Amino acid sequence: MHFSTLEFATKSNKMKNLKHIFNSLLNKIRPIFSGHYIAIAGLIGFSFFLLVAILAPWIAPQNPYDLMVLDIMDGLLPPLSKLGNGTTAWLGTDALGRDILSAVMYGLRLSLFVAFVAVSIGTTIGVILGLLAAVKGGWVETIIMRAVDLKVSFPGILLALMMLAIFGTGVDKIIYALIIGVWASKARLTRSQALSEMQKEYIDAARISGIPNWRIMVRFLLPNSIAPVLVMVPMALSGAIGAEATLSFLGVGVPITEPSLGLLIANGNDYILSGKWWISIIPGLVLVSLVLCINVVADRIREYNNPYLKSKDQ
Amino acid sequence: MKTTPLLEIKNLTVTYPYGPQGKDELKALDQIFINLSEGQISGIVGESGAGKSTIGKAILGLLDPPANLVSGEIRFRGNSLVGLSEAQFESLRGNQIGYIYQNPMTALNPVLTIGEQVIEAIEANTNMRGKNAQAYAIQLLKRAEVSFAEDRLQKYPHQLSGGLCQRIVFAIAIAAKPKLIIADEPTTALDVTVQKSVLQTLIKLSKEEQIAIILITHDIGVIAETCDYVYVLRNGKHVEQDTTNNVLQRPTQDYTKSLMASVPIIEKRLHRFPLSEEAKLKDASTGLHYLQEKQSTQDSTHESLLEVHNLSKIFITPSSLLKAKQLFTAVKDVSFNVMRGETVGIVGESGSGKTTIGRMILGLEDITDGRVIYRGKDLKELVDSAERRAHCLSMQCIFQDPYSSLNPRMTAGENITYGLRVHKMINPDKAKSLAQDLMALVGLPSEDAEKLPHAFSGGERQRIGIARALSYRPDFIFCDEPTSALDVSVQANLLNLLKDLQEKFSLTLLFVSHDLAVIRQMCDSVIVMKEGEALEKGSNKDIFESPQHNYTKSLLNSMPKFNRIDLI
Repeated sequence: MHFSTLEFATKSNKMKNLKHIFNSLLNKIRPIFSGHYIAIAGLIGFSFFLLVAILAPWIAPQNPYDLMVLDIMDGLLPPLSKLGNGTTAWLGTDALGRDILSAVMYGLRLSLFVAFVAVSIGTTIGVILGLLAAVKGGWVETIIMRAVDLKVSFPGILLALMMLAIFGTGVDKIIYALIIGVWASKARLTRSQALSEMQKEYIDAARISGIPNWRIMVRFLLPNSIAPVLVMVPMALSGAIGAEATLSFLGVGVPITEPSLGLLIANGNDYILSGKWWISIIPGLVLVSLVLCINVVADRIREYNNPYLKSKDQ
Repeated sequence: MKTTPLLEIKNLTVTYPYGPQGKDELKALDQIFINLSEGQISGIVGESGAGKSTIGKAILGLLDPPANLVSGEIRFRGNSLVGLSEAQFESLRGNQIGYIYQNPMTALNPVLTIGEQVIEAIEANTNMRGKNAQAYAIQLLKRAEVSFAEDRLQKYPHQLSGGLCQRIVFAIAIAAKPKLIIADEPTTALDVTVQKSVLQTLIKLSKEEQIAIILITHDIGVIAETCDYVYVLRNGKHVEQDTTNNVLQRPTQDYTKSLMASVPIIEKRLHRFPLSEEAKLKDASTGLHYLQEKQSTQDSTHESLLEVHNLSKIFITPSSLLKAKQLFTAVKDVSFNVMRGETVGIVGESGSGKTTIGRMILGLEDITDGRVIYRGKDLKELVDSAERRAHCLSMQCIFQDPYSSLNPRMTAGENITYGLRVHKMINPDKAKSLAQDLMALVGLPSEDAEKLPHAFSGGERQRIGIARALSYRPDFIFCDEPTSALDVSVQANLLNLLKDLQEKFSLTLLFVSHDLAVIRQMCDSVIVMKEGEALEKGSNKDIFESPQHNYTKSLLNSMPKFNRIDLI
């Protein structure tokens, strides 16, 4: 009896903690979006796409990866047609008889997964390198920053194509290619932020107190220079989604058995002139609205964090 | 016939929205009255947040939203200025009312020559063009006492000193023969030796051209030097107004009295600033145990704690594609001793190398040449890492800028004890109570240790910085202009605190400041520096009462002098 009440107490405490964290998060987000209806619409749209992507295996009418359920007889049906097995293909089917709705759900899942992984790894690498360059200086800085210069002097898509030509295609390969595209700008931004933070006296205070460099990096520089980088993350996300779609469309991205949005568009490309518009247009619309939603949200976050724009805005 | 005053302000109230939803109002100005006749110089004095600058902006219609002019009348030569259109204000600004900004370097356009800027102002406000305008520009510069006026017209702002730039701003301000100039902290960005002559120019211009001036400043010395009449403001409210002499010598209000008592004086050294009881610190006895543990192991015989031998610092800008290698000598062959328990002051203008010396002593800057012997040892000769750490940690620093000297992402308490925890010099569960004790010791509520730095004012942050320095139980603290960013009353409190702490823990201080009066109050002996060289060394009394070097004399001369009531 005694124990169970104790257990209950800690549990409710944990709940309270979670609630507290949730509330404080909400309080942080609320001023960013309050009154900005387009940004709210973007946030709602993005959340919807995210939810669909996460739940795709449970809510999709068909598993498009499972070739056993596909029936060639159902191929190239327009939206709202009945399939052989009696279900309705709300958004039509492609040449293999694949349900477009399901394919888009799975494609969304893959596109978002690839972009999320690439951007988070790329940003982490960029931030770490940027901090190292700022703190270490000397040859470490030279190597890192020249590598950044080298990267940004090539068009991103060209670099990605080269990568994929060398390593071949596949979900993991395209993630590597996108990471290459993401890290450099983050490293440069982090370095410039960290350099201006390092001019401040609390860094001197830490150095006088003999606090080791890595601790200064983690506890002093990182939390104080990360904000502008985080503001860039949503933009990078929509950029990565677009880049992945481009590469897949060109046929060097994800394998044909696991179609992403870009590959779906490419698949429908051959049929678009024969009036089978839905195969390309529907995944295209989803891609455009996803990127638009993220961009609207990203724009608002950037605006909120820019004091110059803010003062005009109020 | 009754003459109308040049400028008449009645009942001026300006508010800002405040609070989370902006529903509350903050009164930046609350029922302010000002009267100014032609050619008169009036001062508006007050500490930060007093609303001084808001008055100037309100007169010129420069109040930015969300500031809101709620009520009141502003009459300039009998005409109301409230509710004028932007176009009407534009014809007034520069033409009839001039404005002088705090920082001359940013008030001038860096990509235009001085001549272009002065002539632009002339062409905008008069009918003169071409050669006439050029000639008038030279004449204006001469009136503003700019030497080599003809040559200066070709120069860019960055090629001139701050004092010269401010004179050029004056010249631009008087181009249209305005009747009124609003000068917002015109000398705050300048060195003392320059300040005096710039103020004299301002007075001369006012007399010759019959220009009335509203001088907005936090510096009572500047008021004493220039103004006929003073308004004292506090938190947007009118406190006192009278002739300058009366306000300085016979203040009637408590606030003015305590303000006067906070101004450090140069005539004699006081034991403590004579602050009223409420302003004094509560004597916190907590935290003493921890800090005094070390004191018992210390012998306080009269010996030198720190010896600086022939210290030099040369900054090297490495050669690049377009520029050759550049050397800049920041410190030239400086030697001095600091005795245990003593306070040594280094005084000098900006760029004199005073901070660089401290940074070299603390090991933040490499030493180009010379030796620093601390507690009988040179850091370079210490091999044992524990010994090195103890050596370094017993030297601490109090920084200049309270707004950048604390890690904004750590609470006050974490800021204070983070280093101790990293070095495992304290049990993590005791860190919290130590932070609270140290907070109480420096006169802050101990429960505030949980707050983040942005919740504190400048003076409070500086106290947190002191607590952080004390946490290492240092012998020696380098104070790098610790009060230059603070209001006088806050400064007086902080300096008293430093003296108290020094007595309690027999601290040795090296105190750097550009303010002679602060040095006079704080230091036992003084080093006067200019351009990296130590020009004169001596005891407090010697330097201030019988200075030998001409530069020291000129520094002392340029200090604003004023008689004030003997509160001591």
